[in-house]
Amino acid sequence: MIDWSAFVVVALVSLFSAAALVSLYSLGLRLVTVDDRSTARTVAGVACFVLCGLGVLYGIYLIVPALHR
Amino acid sequence: MDLTLIVVLVIALALFFDFTNGFHDTANAMATPIATGAMKPKVAVTVAAILNLVGAFLSTEVAKTVSGGIIREGDGGVQISPEMIFAGLIGAVVWNMITWLRGLPSSSSHALFGGLIGAAVVGAGVSSVDFSVVLSKVILPALLAPLIAGLVGYTATRLAYTITRRRDDKSERGGFRYGQVFTSSLVALAHGTNDAQKTMGVITLTLIASGALGAGSGPPLWVVVVCAFAIALGTYTGGWRIIQTMGGGLTEVKPTQGFAAEASTTATVLASSHLGFALSTTQVASGSIIGAGLGRRGSKIQWSTAGKIVAAWFITLPASAAVGAVAALIATLGTAGLVVDALVGVVVIGGIFLLSRRRPHEQGAAMEVDVAATSVLSRRRARRLEKKGRVDTPAAGVEAPFVRLDEAVPTVAPSGTLAAPARSEEKKEDDR
Repeated sequence: MIDWSAFVVVALVSLFSAAALVSLYSLGLRLVTVDDRSTARTVAGVACFVLCGLGVLYGIYLIVPALHR
Repeated sequence: MDLTLIVVLVIALALFFDFTNGFHDTANAMATPIATGAMKPKVAVTVAAILNLVGAFLSTEVAKTVSGGIIREGDGGVQISPEMIFAGLIGAVVWNMITWLRGLPSSSSHALFGGLIGAAVVGAGVSSVDFSVVLSKVILPALLAPLIAGLVGYTATRLAYTITRRRDDKSERGGFRYGQVFTSSLVALAHGTNDAQKTMGVITLTLIASGALGAGSGPPLWVVVVCAFAIALGTYTGGWRIIQTMGGGLTEVKPTQGFAAEASTTATVLASSHLGFALSTTQVASGSIIGAGLGRRGSKIQWSTAGKIVAAWFITLPASAAVGAVAALIATLGTAGLVVDALVGVVVIGGIFLLSRRRPHEQGAAMEVDVAATSVLSRRRARRLEKKGRVDTPAAGVEAPFVRLDEAVPTVAPSGTLAAPARSEEKKEDDR
């Protein structure tokens, strides 16, 4: 029958990974578009985007079977 | 190699199924970037097609069973004959065409399962179908997928709006468009690696059953190549009707929501395929969009459209099963039956295609792209463009924006209805 524990795991993992990705991107967007831009803010913003990029790369890693088998 | 009539028919039909699968599912990845203007329609479908093509070559894992355990096939169970696969494919293709005509996103794999179930019941009796697997693999996930994706999409959208909220009214949320390109590309790539494999599996199993390939062998290169190109071509053709439904028919999608929805779809699809709880991409994508719609203040969701989509999900299995069963019944007549099946199938598919040409009448194929582009414009943008005189669509015969699926009314919009009157509650809206 239905595997409820797997379902809960999938639900939680999707929730947290999507939330993390969206938060990082939003934060990056906010940091680099703020009016009084300082170097620190820009660096932090770019760092957020880099983390998002890593998330996307991890997604590609998961999609391509040759990479993780 | 002994290529009998049935093998040729199955391969041709399987490839056509692959094609319908492609254009049915373009919307999953590309509806929201097209709706928000992150990518131009033509660019979006091209990117999706290329990623589907690449994805089809990337995956080496080909389905070992045609039905994924729904039919008790193999040792101790029923032998799935090429005739059954053929009848099942007819059921799947016909149902895919009908849902496409109605602009409803429905799962292509469920249609395939349904067709096979119908064919198996006729060909081998009711006992050949494992209904507990039907419940756990098709019916319950169809309930759970939109719930989970809706929750994820809602949370992501709320987070995005909260984090980017600013006191001054200047909004940077257009920047979410760039993010959309990446997230939707991931969805397209994942689609290519999953869905082309199904057709490859069906063709390979048919070749094995006919003795053209040894038992347990993988798909020959030509099967991989033609399947990859069939799904890519289907994706490139673009199911504009379904893109319209998902990009504008459910709710008006802003860049922030589009990004959040695509991120949720990606996360949920990847988590479900890697943590052992399979969910349909189509259902996840629809759920994410509804969740994103709920997450923006002032946005409206067309619940009647959402209801129709959910109804279609539940009808998919029995409907394609019914078509598959009839096709299997005719196929029992032997070769003549197969030919009749094939002819009827061609006539039905051709008829649906002609019907689809007629509805937005006086409209050439090339125009569909512009229709898709203008029909998913937000009302405000459409109004602005119209003031500038840049959009004279929808011209007579071109579908109006936010076409509801219950458009019993002819789709000819009197020009000028594109700009809906300003709504008073628009002030309260999150603007992007």
